[in-house]
Amino acid sequence: MAKHHGRGFATIEYPTGMNQNGDPSQAWIKLKPDGRVDVFSGTVDIGQGSKTVHTQIVADALGVPYDWVTMDNTNTDSSAVCTGTFASRGTFIGGNAVRLAAEKVRERILDIASKELEIDPSDLDIEDGEVIARGAPQKKINVADVAGAATYNYGELISGSSTALKPFADVDDATGQVEIEPHSAISYAACVADVEVDDETGEVVVQKLVQVYDVGRAINPTLVEGQIEGGAIMGLGLGLLENSYPYYPSVKHRGGQFGAYLAPALRDMPEIDNVIIENPSADGPFGAKAIGEMANNAQPPAIANAIFDAVGVWLTEMPATPDRVLEALAAKREPTRDGKRVVFDEHLSLKAVSANQGEGFFGVEA
Amino acid sequence: MKAVGARLPRYDGLGHVTGRTQFVDDVRVGKTLWVKALRSTHHNAAITSLDTSKAEAMKGVRAIITHKDVPKNVYGHLEGLGVPGDEPLLADGEVRWLGQPIAAVAAESEAAAQAAVEAMEISYEERPALFDIRNALDPDAPEIHQWGNVYPHYGPYNHRRVRKGDIDRAFDEADTIVEGVYRPQAIEQVPMETQVSLVVPEASGRLTIYSCTQAMYFSMGVVAAHLQVPLNKLKFVGGTVGGGFGGKVDTATETICALLALKARKPVKWRWTREEEFLVSSTRAPWHIELQDAVSKEGWILGRRTVTLHDSGAYARFSPYGLTKHAFHHSGAYTIPNLRFDGFVVFTNRVPTTAMRGFGVTSVSFAVETHMNRIAEVMGLDPWELRLKNANRIGDTSGNGVVLKDPSTVAVTLAAADRVGIELSAEYRGMNEEPRTGALLPEHLVAQQNLNGEGA
Repeated sequence: MAKHHGRGFATIEYPTGMNQNGDPSQAWIKLKPDGRVDVFSGTVDIGQGSKTVHTQIVADALGVPYDWVTMDNTNTDSSAVCTGTFASRGTFIGGNAVRLAAEKVRERILDIASKELEIDPSDLDIEDGEVIARGAPQKKINVADVAGAATYNYGELISGSSTALKPFADVDDATGQVEIEPHSAISYAACVADVEVDDETGEVVVQKLVQVYDVGRAINPTLVEGQIEGGAIMGLGLGLLENSYPYYPSVKHRGGQFGAYLAPALRDMPEIDNVIIENPSADGPFGAKAIGEMANNAQPPAIANAIFDAVGVWLTEMPATPDRVLEALAAKREPTRDGKRVVFDEHLSLKAVSANQGEGFFGVEA
Repeated sequence: MKAVGARLPRYDGLGHVTGRTQFVDDVRVGKTLWVKALRSTHHNAAITSLDTSKAEAMKGVRAIITHKDVPKNVYGHLEGLGVPGDEPLLADGEVRWLGQPIAAVAAESEAAAQAAVEAMEISYEERPALFDIRNALDPDAPEIHQWGNVYPHYGPYNHRRVRKGDIDRAFDEADTIVEGVYRPQAIEQVPMETQVSLVVPEASGRLTIYSCTQAMYFSMGVVAAHLQVPLNKLKFVGGTVGGGFGGKVDTATETICALLALKARKPVKWRWTREEEFLVSSTRAPWHIELQDAVSKEGWILGRRTVTLHDSGAYARFSPYGLTKHAFHHSGAYTIPNLRFDGFVVFTNRVPTTAMRGFGVTSVSFAVETHMNRIAEVMGLDPWELRLKNANRIGDTSGNGVVLKDPSTVAVTLAAADRVGIELSAEYRGMNEEPRTGALLPEHLVAQQNLNGEGA
């Protein structure tokens, strides 16, 4: 009867954007007469912070202070299409939509500023809300005055709209091969889990997670860390605690309240050490790739590997609940060997469970 | 100051932490009616009779709908991608999962709506149910879905396939074949905000739909399809959601509320109880993954054979999409030149499963990464070096033929090793993403290198 320590790790990858693409996000932006910026985007903020990130992207794409920018994602009358907040697409695809729209607005600002300053637009920059002549910083005009001139002198609404869309990637059903890249980018991550396994109770406690994420560019590092830490606790739930069907595949004894469905709480949170790597994506807004979904993918295998390191059993039915840990410790299963084949988990396999040894699944054409 | 890269406070953070952010359930409209649903009490059954007349006559009941009230009752979430519909909005003649909605009531209070549900008279003829995906194609398995027990529409195939390289040769040449079975199971998304919507019929004839959807335009398309109305009849109001994690890509309540609002000509709200959220909202899917890896004694993964079964529950929803994504990522963060993958979306009599954070890939990351450590254990190899050796490199070709432009397998693995003080040999410590050369470019990977950027 003892507690055993173990360490495991995992390296994973995850795509940005809807699989096979074809998922547009659109945005439009207009300036108020004082140069303040109204952004209309249909991207739903599910708590991940897309409103914040999109506002940051627009501010820098235009060259105006962050607090000039107002984000309206409240309804489908004023916002154009966003396919949705899923598939880790909000920062990249929704972000590209607002970035591309902002670039069009920037062109209009420069064009009108050019008339006011009598300087070619290609010689102008926008910084911190001011249009400045390159190399002659005393020649400048505030974006507020540009917007005022547009509204009251030139009769123009400064606005811009755009769509971020990568075309649908057809797949060859015979081979699974695609003609064009079926995603917008790929992010990578690694996770090291240190665990303690109690061989008497079967309880596994994760003591520390070290997590490394390549996010291309952290538009807002605090929100990236929020995703990493929120994802980590969700990954602990997946790996150790939660199961909608505790005796899967049986449908009996489902938990219908928090008391009967064990989701992780803050007290389950281990020590967490985050490392953010920025290997920029060529196509993402300011080099960003996605972080959202992948943040709960690396912990479950890292934990399974750590449990093996601690007590020498493989938990390949997830989650590794105490009853499963104790069962595995009692069973002490070893792989069977057949020539050069080393076969784990035979008791779980189609061959063992299906009445015809899984013929319907294994018997398809080569 | 540049905004990008700055630790700016959350745009709506103050509202969230002071309770002033308006979520759907905070919206109050006078004379709102409340919804409850009659749900199946069986896992698989024919509905032999349904009589709502007593419920309709009850005090406070303003509208009841069944499948007969739905202009287009069967509409698939993926019809836009060419996947036909299979799931009725309200059950028509049969039920396939415990909790499936059959009829819905709008009444002046939640209690009156619930009382009306309990007054509905329904009888069933129970049918045998299927719960274990591994038995779905057994000779004596009950057939539980109109398409058979396996989704049949991957072109001419009933499975998603990947075929790459020469798989038989890889297995012939392997020194060791490591086989394992991985079964990540279902979890609930557990958002703080349960499924909720409020639909207000406007004087103009439009419907204003306050929704917790993660995808306003997608959900608007689903409602418009069921109601058979153009998009300008609908206005979705949302954009701020109390947690979704994938579960609010399903359009769970909006369509039924819209139909009841049209019938009752009153605002209608449906907010699911926590019990409904746990028991009848869709979950992450359970999976069954069998991996066989052909490995050389030096630790090169020469080939992988995979059979995956995806437990879709009673209907398809997003499962055909999720399985394709799974197939595209089943070699993980590594370059494996010879692949044979066969994946099946399998129907069972459980709540239809749906998207959840990591959709399609969480399962295969668990399988692949646990399998990697088993390979290391069986072969007596270092699990860090095994991963670094087989890592994706610039110019490598992925399982579905994509040339990788900016992989980071090596960077994140080395950074993690460094952070926890793992001492790697110089050969591995100095590794980067640049294309392989010398001893790290074995014969079986030469053809993978696509330095001209050809291919996808």
